[in-house]
Amino acid sequence: MAAIVTRSQRKEQRTQSAAAPCAALGGLLSLLAFASFVALVSLSPARSAFAARSAAASSQTRSAAAARPGAIRGRVELRRVVSAAERRPTVGDLGTPAARDLPDLLRSVVYLESAPRGAFETNEGGHAVMDQRNETFVPHVLAITTGTTVDFPNSDKFYHNVFSLSKPRTFDLGRYAAGHTRDVRFDRPGIVRVFCEIHSHMNAFILVFSHPFFALTDAEGRYQIDNVPPGTYGVIAWNEGTPSETKSVTVPDGGTGELDFTIR
Amino acid sequence: MKRRGSTAARLAWVVWALAASPAAAQLLPSEPIAFADGRVTVSGEVLATYGCELAPDDLCRNDQGFFNYTDYSHSALREVRIDGSAAVKAGPHFTILTEVRTENFSDVQPYALYLRIRPWTARDFDIQVGRVPPTFGAFARRTYANDNPLIGYPLAYQYLTTVRPDALPRSADELLAKRSTGWLVRYGVGNPVPVQGVPLVTAFRWDTGVQGHAVMGIVNVTGSVTSGTVSHPLFHDDNDGRQIATRVELRPMNGLVAGTSFARGPFVSTAAIRAALGGDTAGGPYTQTAWGGDLEYSRGYYVIRAETIWTAWRLPIAETPPRQLPITEPLNALSTYIEGRYKLRPGLYIAARYDHLGFSDIKGASATLPWDAPVTRAEVGGGYSLQRNLILKLSYQRNVRDGGVLLQHASFLSAQLVYWF
Repeated sequence: MAAIVTRSQRKEQRTQSAAAPCAALGGLLSLLAFASFVALVSLSPARSAFAARSAAASSQTRSAAAARPGAIRGRVELRRVVSAAERRPTVGDLGTPAARDLPDLLRSVVYLESAPRGAFETNEGGHAVMDQRNETFVPHVLAITTGTTVDFPNSDKFYHNVFSLSKPRTFDLGRYAAGHTRDVRFDRPGIVRVFCEIHSHMNAFILVFSHPFFALTDAEGRYQIDNVPPGTYGVIAWNEGTPSETKSVTVPDGGTGELDFTIR
Repeated sequence: MKRRGSTAARLAWVVWALAASPAAAQLLPSEPIAFADGRVTVSGEVLATYGCELAPDDLCRNDQGFFNYTDYSHSALREVRIDGSAAVKAGPHFTILTEVRTENFSDVQPYALYLRIRPWTARDFDIQVGRVPPTFGAFARRTYANDNPLIGYPLAYQYLTTVRPDALPRSADELLAKRSTGWLVRYGVGNPVPVQGVPLVTAFRWDTGVQGHAVMGIVNVTGSVTSGTVSHPLFHDDNDGRQIATRVELRPMNGLVAGTSFARGPFVSTAAIRAALGGDTAGGPYTQTAWGGDLEYSRGYYVIRAETIWTAWRLPIAETPPRQLPITEPLNALSTYIEGRYKLRPGLYIAARYDHLGFSDIKGASATLPWDAPVTRAEVGGGYSLQRNLILKLSYQRNVRDGGVLLQHASFLSAQLVYWF
């Protein structure tokens, strides 16, 4: 739900920017964003290949601005068993801990390895939500663009303490009660692992992209990346920290490229 | 000395292995390992601590005042501890939980091993049988090292008093002469071998018995019947007596936990009673009684905890030597600590604890004094998460002891590395 909201907001922003004349200021900002992005990637060798790939400027796409955008769609098949993080043995507890929900680990993220020209236009960012419910982050995977603010409401009756020590965004929201929320803005691309300090089995991923060309799979593993300019792209599927090999797909003018993945 | 050198070398190796190679640490598991479709879960923790007593003539000597010793050869500020925990779920009603531990690469000890039974899955009621978590108090169930914001332990749970369950002083004068020597104490009645005394409540061993726990709204109630006492948990009973312990905990609002505990059980071993009183005497009123109150409040970036424990040991009165006075009153002790933790930024926190342990007066032939030397401890420090599950703690600890035959002041600088999965 959160991702859908964010995507619709992004679409609106893209429409607005496409309608606007190509002002010099916008171009300069794009150039600055791109340059700082490349610098960040080069300064941080530990950053995942994900960030580097998503950051690379596209030289592949040189299609005319007037070309009609297309889409990439397909399915991600998971041929591996990924288990949710278990609770540490509650040896010191006086009784059985409360039951908890298990996160949905079947959702994958599919994204363009190299973004088309214009992908780094300034993004004011929208809002997304990662709830804390029955000792689980919901959704377990969130894919957003840079500039997005993520709300972390607490829907449990007890405290949670959301934090991350990931390099793209470190934060610690402290302990807060049910009905309260705290938010974090994500300005740098990369993978952010989110945890709860109180419940060590709670974890989630936030994938922050510097471009809008990504999609989350549905329950059956299907995905569709919309509004992709015509051209040939490298595409990657990602699930629970494991990226697939890059696959190539061509998006025809106004058409759809089909691409399936298998993650082992 | 040789043993200490060897331990230091092992400690250095563990520290190097964990800290010098963050890349290697990343290869280690970061979550509990689960198998058999999640029915078996295994986790672990490695803790390496090195502390130096700051003395004018030696900037890094071991604890000469034995303030942080947990037995006669083992300081909590110089240890490598490896823990392994496992939970085996056998259906919705039964879970076997265990924790094994080795300190300074000595024998592996079963810290906990018990069966948790949930008779009705829909009700918050559990029965635990075996070597079970302590019913009494709050601190001893914080099994994981990152549950303790500092490196040292609260005095009530660690500091060794001069009371022993298997050996007894002949008189008040003999007890007063031993003040501050709880790390290695010897008496004229009972077991003649010098060993450590007991803390008020031990955090290093768990008792064996049956425990029941129920949750009713904001009230948690626990009761247990076990072999030993809070200061001297046992696997094999040494006096055919049983301790009864209860705890009531209230959680009236988010972040607030208020608990009160009570425990009472035969403390002195049958062998020591017979040595003191002769004949076939067994059991009797030679008990340890303990009352405790604890409070925790947390919100935002801080956690504050306070705990008070009062306890009394009743010892049999042995035949008192001439010109000495007998111990006629229970030996009382009272300990109170308050601690706080505040997070400065992601992965970095500061913490402090103030702690006092006092003892009741007894009358000897030459003086009336607290039966053991009172101790005050202040500790400040902090922790930094090198990774989510790799934490470096640093602390400064100041101890002051009022009387006794050992060193009366000691300050320590300590570092601790904790890795867990």
